[in-house]
Amino acid sequence: MMKSRTLDIATVSRNAWERLVVDPTLGVISLLVIFSLIAAFAFPVFYAGNNIYNLVGSSITVMILAIGMTIVLISGGIDLSVGAVMALCAGTAASVVKLGAPLWVAFLCALLVGVIAGLMNGFLVTRVGLPDFIGTLAMLGLASGVLYIATQGVPIIGYMTSEYYVIGGLEPLVGPVTLPMVVALVLALSAGWLLSRTRLGTHFFAVGSNAVAARQSGVSVRWVKTQAYVISGVCAAIAGVILAGRNNNVPADLGTGYEIQAISAAIIGGASLMGGRGRVLGAVLGSLTLALAINIINLAGVPSSFQKIVIGAILLLAVIANYLSELARNAALRRRAKRDSQASSLERTKKEI
Amino acid sequence: MKSSSPLARIMSVPGMPMTFVLIITVVVFQMLNPVFLDASTLGNYITNGIPIILITLGVAIVIMGGGIDLSVGTVAGLSAGMTMFAFVNGAPLAVGIAVGCGTGLVFGLVNGFLVAYLRINDFIVTLATLNIAAGLLVVLTQVQPLQGVDVPGFPELTKSDVFGIPTSLLIAGAVFLIAQIILAKTVLGRRLYAVGISSQAANVAGVSVPHVRLMSFAASGLLAGLAGVLLASRLGAVQAFLGIGYEFIAIAGAVIGGITLAGGSGNAWAALVGGFFLVTLQQGLRLNNVDPVYFSIVTALAIVFGVVFERQVRRVILRTALQRTSALSDQRATTAAASARSAAAKSSEGNDDEK
Amino acid sequence: MRANDSVSTPAVLEARGITKHFEGVTALDDVELSVGAGEIHALLGGNGAGKSTLISIISGVTKPDRGTIHLNGSPLASSGPFAAMAAGISTIYQELSLVPALSALDNIFLGREITKKTLGLPLTSDRRGMEQKVRDLAADFGITASELGTPVSEFGALKKRAIEIVKALAFNPQVLILDEPTSGLEDAERQVLFGYMRSLRERGVSLVWVTHHLEELFGLADTATVFKDGRRVDTVPVESTSAAELVNLMFGMDSEEFGGGDASRVAHLSTSAGSRVVLRARNLTRGTVVRDVSLDVREGEIVGLAGLAGAGRTEVVRTLMGLDALTSGTVELDGRRLSLRSSTAAYRAGLAMVPEDRKQLGILADLSTAKNVSISRLSTVATAGFWISAKKERALAEKFRTRLGIKTPDVDARIGNLSGGNQQKVIVARCLNTAPKLLIFDEPTQGIDVSAKVDVHTLVRDYAANGGSAILIASEVEELLELSHRVLVLKNGRVVGEVDGIPAAIEAGEFARIKSEVLNLSAAGGAS
Repeated sequence: MMKSRTLDIATVSRNAWERLVVDPTLGVISLLVIFSLIAAFAFPVFYAGNNIYNLVGSSITVMILAIGMTIVLISGGIDLSVGAVMALCAGTAASVVKLGAPLWVAFLCALLVGVIAGLMNGFLVTRVGLPDFIGTLAMLGLASGVLYIATQGVPIIGYMTSEYYVIGGLEPLVGPVTLPMVVALVLALSAGWLLSRTRLGTHFFAVGSNAVAARQSGVSVRWVKTQAYVISGVCAAIAGVILAGRNNNVPADLGTGYEIQAISAAIIGGASLMGGRGRVLGAVLGSLTLALAINIINLAGVPSSFQKIVIGAILLLAVIANYLSELARNAALRRRAKRDSQASSLERTKKEI
Repeated sequence: MKSSSPLARIMSVPGMPMTFVLIITVVVFQMLNPVFLDASTLGNYITNGIPIILITLGVAIVIMGGGIDLSVGTVAGLSAGMTMFAFVNGAPLAVGIAVGCGTGLVFGLVNGFLVAYLRINDFIVTLATLNIAAGLLVVLTQVQPLQGVDVPGFPELTKSDVFGIPTSLLIAGAVFLIAQIILAKTVLGRRLYAVGISSQAANVAGVSVPHVRLMSFAASGLLAGLAGVLLASRLGAVQAFLGIGYEFIAIAGAVIGGITLAGGSGNAWAALVGGFFLVTLQQGLRLNNVDPVYFSIVTALAIVFGVVFERQVRRVILRTALQRTSALSDQRATTAAASARSAAAKSSEGNDDEK
Repeated sequence: MRANDSVSTPAVLEARGITKHFEGVTALDDVELSVGAGEIHALLGGNGAGKSTLISIISGVTKPDRGTIHLNGSPLASSGPFAAMAAGISTIYQELSLVPALSALDNIFLGREITKKTLGLPLTSDRRGMEQKVRDLAADFGITASELGTPVSEFGALKKRAIEIVKALAFNPQVLILDEPTSGLEDAERQVLFGYMRSLRERGVSLVWVTHHLEELFGLADTATVFKDGRRVDTVPVESTSAAELVNLMFGMDSEEFGGGDASRVAHLSTSAGSRVVLRARNLTRGTVVRDVSLDVREGEIVGLAGLAGAGRTEVVRTLMGLDALTSGTVELDGRRLSLRSSTAAYRAGLAMVPEDRKQLGILADLSTAKNVSISRLSTVATAGFWISAKKERALAEKFRTRLGIKTPDVDARIGNLSGGNQQKVIVARCLNTAPKLLIFDEPTQGIDVSAKVDVHTLVRDYAANGGSAILIASEVEELLELSHRVLVLKNGRVVGEVDGIPAAIEAGEFARIKSEVLNLSAAGGAS
């Protein structure tokens, strides 16, 4: 009797409410639902026409970046360079297409740039030993600088072939479905698979959650982190190729501000800066939430210039909400500890009797 | 005992190595293009650089306290916008300047409160306020064009000089002096270093860590506000994207100047030379017909080399210090050996006493 | 020695002549250890006795300067923890080395996952295969199949230990090292863990068990080896020994110190305490680490807190200083209720603390000696409350340098370069500078050399002689008794006993009696 009782104490018996408070994805889903409800009640146009369809379309770029960002955050890092790297990859793809090379060559070149950027991030962080945000901030400067030099500040144009309209999602693929949607879906599913089913995925969590324990268990922390940055670079490359199509031209500042959107989406989706936490589904829903919020303020007639404020405010709200849920969680843990200690002292008295 | 050479001691002061690099850079640019130190160009390049250097100082103060502030650039931009906004709506000189500085201060206090008292990650908080400030400026520029005002005395902040010294340089000089005095001579400055060295140990010694953190962010915000006022004065018109990317230069400047990212060391001088180095580089590249777009790459590389260089310098200093202490302990070995045993054992058994 | 008589089975693990120096200081001095098959071998000793260094050498983390580790008679090449693990030596550290974000199963197989092929590449974790492999073993240690899939962060301390045991067993170790495995466990949970240890023994695994809790040994451990100051004192069969004997081995009197073994020469406090109560703490409780602790400190009185590691001594004083939050309880200083909100408030109210772990919590390493002295009350060196006068600051530091005998060529030199003892004196100076109503010394002589130790003792005595009140924590019982009027003994966060009138007792030549009284209370006193 006593034995089983203490074992119950040792394992956690959570009630539904505690789970709800703790589960990060539920938070973002509820945010999404609340936003949708507001939108639906306040603006009947929300469900009219192509609004939702356009909204999803507009969230794809950030979504892809956020998937990569989530993996970096899980492994305990942060990637500030995604926006700049994305723009550089977009520029690479556009320029190579302009040179007359086949599309697949252009994409491979863009992908190569993304991988190299990821490797450099990994090198700066794990070998040179720079703090994550300084190393990737340097990469941000580097990538945007290279794009500026290459374009001389003049947007790249004239690469939009008919195929590229499909790639950018300006022309649908089948029915209403666009290619970027398919790509994002495939990417999300593979990232989800990577995180939950593969060794590498396990190692991402291990390195971010307790690097010392991971090292003790024989996991190469440096290499795992580098791989996370490479994946983020690949995501940036894919996003860049798509954005080049969606945007019709590649200005040198194409990527400005995307890093904060990607970080916001990932954090809204439950990723933590402390590492070891995060979900692909969260990143997807987080980027949808951002797009939705922007959509709502557009519908409300607020000028699009408020976009940045809204993104910043949502990020702040998300971290403050995290803080509050952490408080709630700690309070719940304390209550449980109190309950348990009462229970165990009860056991003790019984035993003594 | 004082076996370290005078040079090594000078170079171990944060900012000193960079001072020499800065001097060399200036000399090189002057040799490449004699226009570089021409009175007209010189004044211009100094006044242009001053807002960035003020922002650098703000970031440096936060870093010394063990934090980071990414919002400084866009907060400076917004402060510039707010100043112009006040002037456009007929505010007198003093009010406009107060509005600009106040904007920065408010952002600093909000950052500080969230970081220090709610203990939310400073990186994320300031990334969010970076965006909010940038967004507010865009909105502001759409409400009203922020230009075409004629407030007597305002342009003179950056365009006049006193005995040949640009006014804004005098302002900046005073600010740096005050900052350095606060850092080196006051209770607050002392506590800032203590928190930066080890917030845990400072807390045990009775230093109110949240209060110090709050003040460091407030200082950074105020400096960004002042930088904004000077930006507005120099430009005469504020565009929607003013300030974006300045945080990058400011952090780079602080790091290059020799302010350790880990916190606890540095001084105003280091921020000054670090920031000035980047400004000089920009100017020098421009004068030598290097496309200014290279600047962002150079800054990026400078960050990396700045951190690595700083670490190497530190390592060398540490090694010499260690050699000295080990030499010392050799002399005392006979007396201290038995007793020090427990010390070393303790450090290896740090986990023995469970927390 | 005696160990060889008691252990009939041949030795599985042998450490021969292990010597280790850290920065020229001897942490282990020619140490021997011999562990038989299926034996539970306890390693005992106070802080800094060398136990942790020895296990880190056995587990391959640290290289010894001299000596070898033998497994089944053949020497192990010391080539890192993985080699040791592969050879059959696994270690469970006191600091949990699990990854909170991962499930129990993933933790068990971290770094050596079983994979299956996807697209011809061994990428995917074969969780089913892993689960099958470990399910029965896990069940033996109370981990159900569903718990295998649960993130480790959701488990309590006992389950985490169990998971670590299973993780270690998956390597098929011959020797399993357990470093303080019961820390953080409730009493009932400890019993469960002891059951696991017995079943490990039945599997033929030899256990090397580091513990501070002597009462745990009996009925469980077969042999105990006691360390002191980097040397092995003795190896004894547990059956034929008593807790008191072990305590004596661990903390036995050092002949050079403490009156040279002559009870009449033991130092003690001379003054008697006043009657006015300075600090009145009632029912302090912090979770399960501090439970219902009440204590009074009178004017001019030094109250010692005794207890083994993990008894909650440091935790008590940390709550007094406002460093850790109390669950409940009240504290009055000079009749005024303290807020206990922050350390700043505590200093302002008149408390000050010389913390344990000088390097991490005490010194501000990059600041000068003078600046380290003034930091807790900068108003003493400031003009108008904010302007620091370097002159005053230096004068203050010089005053304490003379008064406390701080050996430094220059008070403007970085404190990090001073010796441990001098650093500690600076921290004491820092506290004295705040003119505290109550001063807390937490392990003030930890890790400092003998002469500095004597100096610190003098400081504490002078402080008391001048009417200062203090709380003192010291792991060395002799030191505690020499410097206290009264000693409270803590165990598992509770006060389990009190020994009063210590100076008088020492004067009466009863040092040995009160010492054994305190030790017995610490080791076995008060069933919790």
